[in-house]
Amino acid sequence: MHLNYLANIGRYIPEVILVLLMVGLIILEATYKEDEKNRKYIFIATLVGLVATLGALIANMSGKAEAIFSNSIIIDQFSTLIKMVMVLGTLAAIYLSRFSKDIYESLKTEFAIMAVGILIGGFLLASANNMLTFYLGIETLSILSYVMAALKKNDQRSSEAGLKYALYGGISAGLMLFGMSHIFGVLGTIQFAGVAKMIPTLTSAQLAILMPSFVLLFAGIGYKIASVPFHMWSPDVYEGSPTPVTTFFAIVPKLAGIAALIRITAVFFVVDSPMKIGWIGLLIVISALTMTVGNVTAIGQKSVKRMLAYSSISHAGIMLAGIVVINDVGIRSVVFYGITYLFMTLVAFYITSIVQDKYGNDHFDRFSGLIYRYPFMAVMMAVVMFSLTGLPPLAGFVAKYNIISSLINSKNYALAIVLGLNSVVSAYYYLKIVRLMTLKPQESNEEIEGFGFLNQMVIVSMTVPVFVLGIFWETIMNLAAGAKLFIQ
Amino acid sequence: MAGSNLLSWILWMPMLGVLGVLILPKDKTTMIKGWALINTIITFILTVVLYSKFDTNQAGMQEAFNVAIPWISQFNIFYRLGVDGISLPMVILTGLLFMLCILSSWTQIKKSIKAYFALLLLLQSTVFGVFFALDFFLFYVYWEVMLIPMFFLIGVWGGENREYAAVKFFLYTFFGSILMLVGIVALYFATNQSVDSFNILALSGGKFSQLSVSLFGTTVSFSKIFFVFMFIGFAIKVPVFPFHTWLPHAHVQAPTAISVILAGVLLKMGTYGFLRIAFPIFPESAKYFSTAIAWLGLINVIYGALCAMAQTDVKKLIAYSSVSHMGFVMLGLAAMTVQGVNGAVLQMFNHGTSTAMMFFMIGILYERSHHRWIVKPDGSRGYGGLYTQLPVYSIIFIIGMFASMGLPGLSGFISEALIFLGIYERFTTITVLALFGLLIGAAYLLWMFKRMFFGDVNPEVKEYEDMTKLEVLYMAPLCVAVILFGIWPSPILNVMKASVGQLVSLLATF
Repeated sequence: MHLNYLANIGRYIPEVILVLLMVGLIILEATYKEDEKNRKYIFIATLVGLVATLGALIANMSGKAEAIFSNSIIIDQFSTLIKMVMVLGTLAAIYLSRFSKDIYESLKTEFAIMAVGILIGGFLLASANNMLTFYLGIETLSILSYVMAALKKNDQRSSEAGLKYALYGGISAGLMLFGMSHIFGVLGTIQFAGVAKMIPTLTSAQLAILMPSFVLLFAGIGYKIASVPFHMWSPDVYEGSPTPVTTFFAIVPKLAGIAALIRITAVFFVVDSPMKIGWIGLLIVISALTMTVGNVTAIGQKSVKRMLAYSSISHAGIMLAGIVVINDVGIRSVVFYGITYLFMTLVAFYITSIVQDKYGNDHFDRFSGLIYRYPFMAVMMAVVMFSLTGLPPLAGFVAKYNIISSLINSKNYALAIVLGLNSVVSAYYYLKIVRLMTLKPQESNEEIEGFGFLNQMVIVSMTVPVFVLGIFWETIMNLAAGAKLFIQ
Repeated sequence: MAGSNLLSWILWMPMLGVLGVLILPKDKTTMIKGWALINTIITFILTVVLYSKFDTNQAGMQEAFNVAIPWISQFNIFYRLGVDGISLPMVILTGLLFMLCILSSWTQIKKSIKAYFALLLLLQSTVFGVFFALDFFLFYVYWEVMLIPMFFLIGVWGGENREYAAVKFFLYTFFGSILMLVGIVALYFATNQSVDSFNILALSGGKFSQLSVSLFGTTVSFSKIFFVFMFIGFAIKVPVFPFHTWLPHAHVQAPTAISVILAGVLLKMGTYGFLRIAFPIFPESAKYFSTAIAWLGLINVIYGALCAMAQTDVKKLIAYSSVSHMGFVMLGLAAMTVQGVNGAVLQMFNHGTSTAMMFFMIGILYERSHHRWIVKPDGSRGYGGLYTQLPVYSIIFIIGMFASMGLPGLSGFISEALIFLGIYERFTTITVLALFGLLIGAAYLLWMFKRMFFGDVNPEVKEYEDMTKLEVLYMAPLCVAVILFGIWPSPILNVMKASVGQLVSLLATF
């Protein structure tokens, strides 16, 4: 048994690096003197650590999929790819925090520490193969998130965001734990595969008892990915948190939740059973609701961050639609969607963050006439808005197209149409930003300090994939298709 | 230049133009305009070359020009281009109108010149893409990308209410395309994701008449439901009543050149979609719904004409006249006879030239008067006595107006006559009613003409100059076109007859 652990540790290097990085950062933060130079070193150390993690993940990608640590963790191509996307998101969020004015200078290191901690939770969640690891992942993710949301200590809204997040999170974690213990009580196993094996053997009375506990289980994940009706916290938290934190929240916990949901759905509901019909039905309804509520509410927003929060709710709904089709095609389309979502979200938040730093708020009007001051950045923002809408030849279109296509392939015409119509609704508010940037006169002649050359290059380098993935998407599609789930 | 690359050249030439415009410095406006003009002239010459090499006896796609290069081979998406007798007139029209639009924008556009010409050329490329694409995915990409330049062209350079118009245009078209996308994907899976699953030609021929789908718990015919989806997608573009409400806004707010492109080319993309996609792929449903399409066409004709009659803004009047004239195209399509469909395709071309003339003329007048009221909101006359003050302008306006009205000897007459010939036997009642549309058409145009050109000379009008040489220069090709094709339509009819005949015989088998 002990030997097994050591033998397996080779596949667990990314997580080990992250843990070492986090511990190292805590020690550094506690011992070094607080000044700009030391902060810079810590920043560089964080980036190096994350890049090393990325490298270890890439190395893991080619290895064979296996279950490690007594079958509690799965290392497969699917989880590795999702982890890579999460690492990229974390890297970008930490980079953004470096020059953002939204986070107190002295807390930037803490932000990095917590981001790495949340990332560890996300890794656990994406790899979890039993309910205990799953719960551990969700809680690691959540507890640090609560603190992170309240990072602006003196700001009332940030504290409110943190508390709101904690309250909602506590309740949903409790519900989920109750659901899990119920499943364990009925079936006597915490292994996902064990549960899956038992489901077809149950009588209909047992199924009736078990179904509510699955709904409770969904509540825990639904809360993490902010799906309706567990989405209430998300706009407040997104708006109240500092922008780098929001950027981070929009990507890492969401993708981790999606990954966990994919695994649960794929493992539990392989065979057709009344249970599967119920679960898929639940997903269909929730997906349609999430998209629609997210989009319709986004229309009336005045704050760009809040609008992006609602839009990210609707994007989670779209990814849920892909999970409804729980086969290779469906999973592939969701993974692809996750990759494109990463780039689009990052560009949108980067530009919002810089504009917000300049004016002190992120009201829509602050974007007026951006094209006259920063034509290049305004064009990038417009590209990303069109991509989020789902216009070809941009990545957002291909991503949506693939989800629609997998839905139609599995004869879910109604959900495909709902998804399509939602794109039309979303076009309205994405266009609003484009309209403000290009059609309105500029608000003032002041230059925005934040758009340095390096930042502009970073933003451009994140927009390039939005174009490339829209036209030459075969490679990434193959990568996403290669990200197979390993079930044991 | 090898014949097989000609289509790619035409398609990418405007993109080369975009690149050039982007490289040129912002303040060298004359260079930008000159580059754009040269670019569109070359493109137009290429379309004429295409016409000269066209084999009129060959039905369907011209084999000499076909292009098929794998794009995303895993999903059988191809860069597949082709041209036949139905798309060729549209391609030539596109080449011609964009060239004239550059000339018309020469003096009329005053702000952000670089961006304007870049977007205009981008628009041209996407329009060619729609008319050439034979791969469904490629078609959809071009169909959608076109929205982006249009959104900015209306939104930035338009009139007072431009933002509303731009957003409305965008959302309407986007809504239609989404339904179309669902149809495209459904077809892709109905043909088992084979190599030809996105091939528009391979999908044609009524292969889906037996399939059915389950939608919202009821089983419906695959062919019917997706025909309706595609129909809505294209109908919004035409626009067919009741999807026409975006059109008056977009037309009135858009700058002159964009109104010309919108009425001259973009509306035809809707009817082109019927001819290339909806009808050949679902012929049985096209037949099934043909009576409904004919009635919708009739509503377009009558309702558009009546709306036009009520307008006091001359640009809005012409915009509604487009609704009415596109109704004739719908009637011709619904007839599904050789004369009817030939008439419809010819009307697509002829309406493109005549309505472009009208919009250009209104733009020229607007440059002088800075308003477009026939009757101002306070009840006074907007114009009056133009005929005595601006003789050259009046002559050209008369030619455009009569062509639009369908006076014998000018282009509109032949296409409308063919449509009526084609539709009479199948839908006699509709034919008789549609003839009243012609009558109303004559009425609103002549009434407009009377109020603007005759009567006492309005003091304001005395200060207007007559047309400049540049304006005469870009109106001249259109004058020639409406007169020439009014007397001698065979250059266009010859090109289309083989392809139209093939389509009609396909429809006749169902």
